[in-house]
Amino acid sequence: MAGAGGIRLSNVSKAFVARGKTIEALRDVSLTCEPGSFTALLGPSGCGKSTILRLALGLEHADGGRVEIGGQTSEKATASGLTGVAFQDSALLPWRNVEDNISLPLDILKRDRREYSAKIAELIQLVGLKGFEKSLPGELSGGMRQRVAIARSLVTEPGVLFLDEPFGALDQILRRQMNIELQRIWTETRCTALLVTHGIDEAVFLADRVAVMRSRPGRVASMIEIPFSRPRSPDLFSDPVFHKLCDGIAEVLHGG
Amino acid sequence: MAAEQVLPAPKPLNQAPWFAPVRNIVILLVLWEVAGRFHLVADGALPSLTAIVERFWADRADYPAHVWSTLVSSALGFAIGNIVAVAAGILFVLSPLAARLFRGFNVTIFAVPTIAIAPILALTMTGISPRVTLAAMGCYFVTMTATVVGLTQIDLRSADLVRAYGGGKWDVMRFVQLRSALPIILAGLQVAAPNAVLGAILAEFGGGGRWGLGIYLLGSLGRADPPRLWSIGLVATAIAGIAYFIFGLISARVTGASKAVTMTTSLPPAGARTGGQWPSLAVAFGSIAVPLVLWWAFIKLLGVPEMIGKTPWGVIEYLFFLPLSQQAQTRLLDAMGQTLPITIVGTFAGLAAAFALSVSSRLVPNFTRALMPVALFSQTMPLIATIPLFVLLLGRGWLVTLIITISVTFFPAFITLAQGMKMTPRAALDLPKAYGAGAWTELKLVGIPAALPYLFAAARLTVPRALLGVMIAEWLATGKGLGNLLNQSRGYLDYGMIWTVAAASVVLSVALYQIVVLVERRVLANMGMRGSE
Ligand SMILES: Nc1ncnc2c1ncn2[C@@H]1O[C@H](COP(=O)(O)OP(=O)(O)O)[C@@H](O)[C@H]1O
Ligand SMILES: [Mg+2]
Repeated sequence: MAGAGGIRLSNVSKAFVARGKTIEALRDVSLTCEPGSFTALLGPSGCGKSTILRLALGLEHADGGRVEIGGQTSEKATASGLTGVAFQDSALLPWRNVEDNISLPLDILKRDRREYSAKIAELIQLVGLKGFEKSLPGELSGGMRQRVAIARSLVTEPGVLFLDEPFGALDQILRRQMNIELQRIWTETRCTALLVTHGIDEAVFLADRVAVMRSRPGRVASMIEIPFSRPRSPDLFSDPVFHKLCDGIAEVLHGG
Repeated sequence: MAAEQVLPAPKPLNQAPWFAPVRNIVILLVLWEVAGRFHLVADGALPSLTAIVERFWADRADYPAHVWSTLVSSALGFAIGNIVAVAAGILFVLSPLAARLFRGFNVTIFAVPTIAIAPILALTMTGISPRVTLAAMGCYFVTMTATVVGLTQIDLRSADLVRAYGGGKWDVMRFVQLRSALPIILAGLQVAAPNAVLGAILAEFGGGGRWGLGIYLLGSLGRADPPRLWSIGLVATAIAGIAYFIFGLISARVTGASKAVTMTTSLPPAGARTGGQWPSLAVAFGSIAVPLVLWWAFIKLLGVPEMIGKTPWGVIEYLFFLPLSQQAQTRLLDAMGQTLPITIVGTFAGLAAAFALSVSSRLVPNFTRALMPVALFSQTMPLIATIPLFVLLLGRGWLVTLIITISVTFFPAFITLAQGMKMTPRAALDLPKAYGAGAWTELKLVGIPAALPYLFAAARLTVPRALLGVMIAEWLATGKGLGNLLNQSRGYLDYGMIWTVAAASVVLSVALYQIVVLVERRVLANMGMRGSE
């Protein structure tokens, strides 16, 4: 593993100009994720969650403020292979089979694929796609494609992991399973994780802290610490304290 | 009773999808045979199929050498032209500035009436290189455009992913763009293949030499032997058609494996239209300068004697600063005055017919479906091989020019329109009907506006082709206009005039193209739509 680095956004602003209109996607957002921490971003659609991730990955440039990953600029951090990412949509290359899609980050980073063959096999096993190594994305269901994307985000053994609603396309049961798996992986690797999600329960189950965002302009409205000890068992989902916490967050989320 | 009425009429048995086209073709062939047998068309100018086949058989010993010669130059030109085109397409996508600087060059290559520069290439180059050059030029624009479109219309999420791992422009190109552009590039190659054949034959026509279908055709023009002309024309068409078909097969195979699995939802990055800090005026100037500089460099690099090879300045001198300039101007303007009106009238007529037919295709869908194979087939016919046939059928008056212009405009326009309108969402077309609108209201509200962008695309596509058609007809048949002036100047070794006509026809073609682009922007902007230029 590349060693967990922190994520630091300081007073970041970002506006988009689309068809003459200016949209203030983020105003003066500060967010710090300590190395090895797990942070969840919750908020209504369009409040700028994806924009935060894209800024952190260097896919967009902030109009103002600073973005740092592991003490470096985003460009340096991503090019050194420190980060891993899974987007909301699987964004698989249709002409690459499952194995080759998972290996794409290795190809981009010019790493030797052969050194990772055990890792790739392990990840395919982990996301339950054994036997589908040679399948093309067009031959997989939506949920399977999304699991390929998750495996792909982990293949470089990233120190900082960005997940943008990665389980949005999965059904509830699979989603639970993936939550539990993700927790296990994270506990093993102790990478810094930033997870964008719509699911309050998912955020509370996985994260150390939940950042609740508001829109127009996008900003972090409140930061909620999650007190549960680790490792967290699946039973937590049916714990009354868990539900109380979720209800509290829902209130903040819906403008309480 | 009532239940029976809502049931659809049972389909006739064995109505496979290929049935109607095949039936239509058979009917056509039978009609052709009958018309030929009884000399029904233009006093025997349309020979019967069997007569053509007989003639072909009698001449069979002549064909291999001619066909081989044409094949070699087309294939070489095809390879070179497409390699350059793909490289240029990649360059234009990686560097928007280069794309804008070379716009003038690209439009020129697209719009240049090949017949006008065939004599020039024959003057300045030797061996088969004029043929290879024209074949390559015939491929360049189609493949370059396809490459640019293919490379730009990528799944932006995949590009994001590559960039999220620190990948640069070149990595995106390597991992995402090149592969995803492949089907579109192959579709481009499919269209380019018959173009290469046409280019090679055109060069043979204007160049001389011993072998090649163009030479064979030229040598057979003088004799009153329609079956031979037809059989050469059909052989040329068959070569072009086979090339078209082969690339069609390859592209179908590749496309199957690379269809995107989900729809992209991300927007293209804002402000894509940037050429860096270069002021747009400088870029526009550069875009005009590039073709001129290349022309100049072409003459200098080949070391053509000044008397034979004219630079841009040489043409200006010829037209304005020499004792005979006044006379040259008059001849040029006269010729333009003959060429231009018929080009414009023919183009309008062809476009109007294609537009009317495709827009009303919802009213007469069967007719459209029957016409489509004919239209596609006509696309692979090398113009140069078919125009002598038109001359046989229609004589040497203005009518032949007009009909040729209409036919070279109508078919490509019809294909562009018909294929474009297929992309209009069904729901949009059905909406007026859902509110009880009649066919005419539906056309007015949805059909016609939806077809407009494709009409302009078709116009851009066909205007240069129309000029080419007119000039070939003038050269071969009517003895009027720019085509004839070019042919005459060749005979008199009037090098200044050859270059002048070539330059003038290119300028004319580019100007017509630009006018269409301007009108297109105007009209579509008023309607809140975007064109494809
Ligand atoms: N490339 C873009 N161009 C224009 N507007 C954008 C672009 N990307 C995001 N936005 C706008 O910024 C806001 C935040 O978007 P996003 O970060 O995707 O929201 P979220 O992920 O929270 O749903 C939205 O209003 C969206 O419309
Ligand atoms: Mg989002």
